Amino acid sequence: MFGYIMPEKPELKIKEYDIYRAYYCGVCKSIGKRHGQIERMTLTYDAAFLAMLLCSTLNIETKLVKESCIVHPIKKSFVTYNEIIDYSSDINIILAYNNIKDKWEDDKSKVALVAMAVLKKSYKKLMVEHSEKCAIINKRLGDLSLLEKAKCDSIDAAAEPFAKLMEEVLDYNKLDDKTRQVLRWLGYNLGKWIYLIDAFDDLEDDIKSASYNPLLTHFKYNGSGDGISEFKNQIRGQIEFILLYCLGEAAKAFELLATNENKGILENILYIGMLSKTDKILCKRSCGKGEKSV
Amino acid sequence: MKNPYEVLGVKQGASEEEIKKAYRDQVKKYHPDQYQDNPLSKLAEEKLKEINEAYEYVSGKGQTTKASNGWSGRSAAAGSQGSQGSQGGDESFKQVRMLINNGNIADAEALLESIPNKNAEWFYLRGLLFMKKGWYNEAVMNMKQAVNMDPSNYEYRDALNKMNANSNVYRGNANNRGYGAGPNFCDMCTCLWCSDSMCECCGGDLIGCC
Repeated sequence: MFGYIMPEKPELKIKEYDIYRAYYCGVCKSIGKRHGQIERMTLTYDAAFLAMLLCSTLNIETKLVKESCIVHPIKKSFVTYNEIIDYSSDINIILAYNNIKDKWEDDKSKVALVAMAVLKKSYKKLMVEHSEKCAIINKRLGDLSLLEKAKCDSIDAAAEPFAKLMEEVLDYNKLDDKTRQVLRWLGYNLGKWIYLIDAFDDLEDDIKSASYNPLLTHFKYNGSGDGISEFKNQIRGQIEFILLYCLGEAAKAFELLATNENKGILENILYIGMLSKTDKILCKRSCGKGEKSV
Repeated sequence: MKNPYEVLGVKQGASEEEIKKAYRDQVKKYHPDQYQDNPLSKLAEEKLKEINEAYEYVSGKGQTTKASNGWSGRSAAAGSQGSQGSQGGDESFKQVRMLINNGNIADAEALLESIPNKNAEWFYLRGLLFMKKGWYNEAVMNMKQAVNMDPSNYEYRDALNKMNANSNVYRGNANNRGYGAGPNFCDMCTCLWCSDSMCECCGGDLIGCC
């Protein structure tokens, strides 16, 4: 996960903002308790969304407690804990470990190696605890690296393994079959959106380092450095179409879930936060402005 | 049965107008047209049925049965749309359409790939299959190919238009929730400039320096 799934802060109510923070801090603290303090640095917004979505689907009431935190030692803030928060923190570690491993294999950076060593212990523990999920996630990432090595030129085929990975992540096995089917379609489309928006976001870097990017192979990029913005202009419309289609399908799946708790925040993320992220990365609104964290 | 008020998303004791509006919004949201070519279409249909039943219960009048029949009738029509369009087509194309309608995507795909005659209908069906799998880029490319090969065919053009409309529906939904509603910097400047000019017209001044 890459932290693309965020709420649009100005559109949240203050109450909703506190609740969102409680989930975010809950996942962070759960990582600290279950895996270790340094591991908390791998926390992404996506994990907070996962926790909130599953809690809402399972109709788990949000119980807020006020706690202090080592990152902000003086101010106490709201936190919430439950088994879903723990599940999200586990998933966060599994994906962070694989993400760093992938980086290490790509560029052999020392930072990645150190981070891998730190996460290794928790990852091994999780391989036992969530053996089924880990096996599928590994299979998908294996498929992905095969496609990357073969320089796959179909956008859909390249995005498939990650979409299927997210499908698995959202499929929480204590839910009934119908809900799981809906969650899988929601996950599939979110995964596809994440993979493709990340591919568009990385275009410049991938051209510089001559790395694989499905958009470069699909649209047959052959220009030099200054051709990038021209290339982006050419493909923007088609990429926007695919990204919005994914979001539209994800939203349709979401509407079929019996979510009640925190529905406003989830709608904010799915309808406004992710659209605003899409527009920002495709450079349609407030181009070039720095992103603020929530 | 679930609490019908909850299903419709209104408070118990809501007025007739409120209930009607909520009902209309819900029907729009889960309408079969929205979930066409979506793997969750069956679940959307069930949800719509639940909404119709809830509305019938809450309003407790005969007129609603008419509405419910109307919607379910349309849903059935949407489901069979695919098979209607197949007139004049090859026998195996008909079979592919049947497999798609039954949700048997893998078999439909295998059968379609084995057909040597790659005409407009072949590309249309391939687009439809990609759609169901979530391969939107491939789907739209195949649909475009079908429309190019047979521009007069309504079914192909309609499918392509629907795909393009889908992303707009999502954006429209976000706009309804307030996305992009705030004034941008340019609007604020223009507003300030206009106010200043107006004040100056009346002999006052809003911005002292100009």
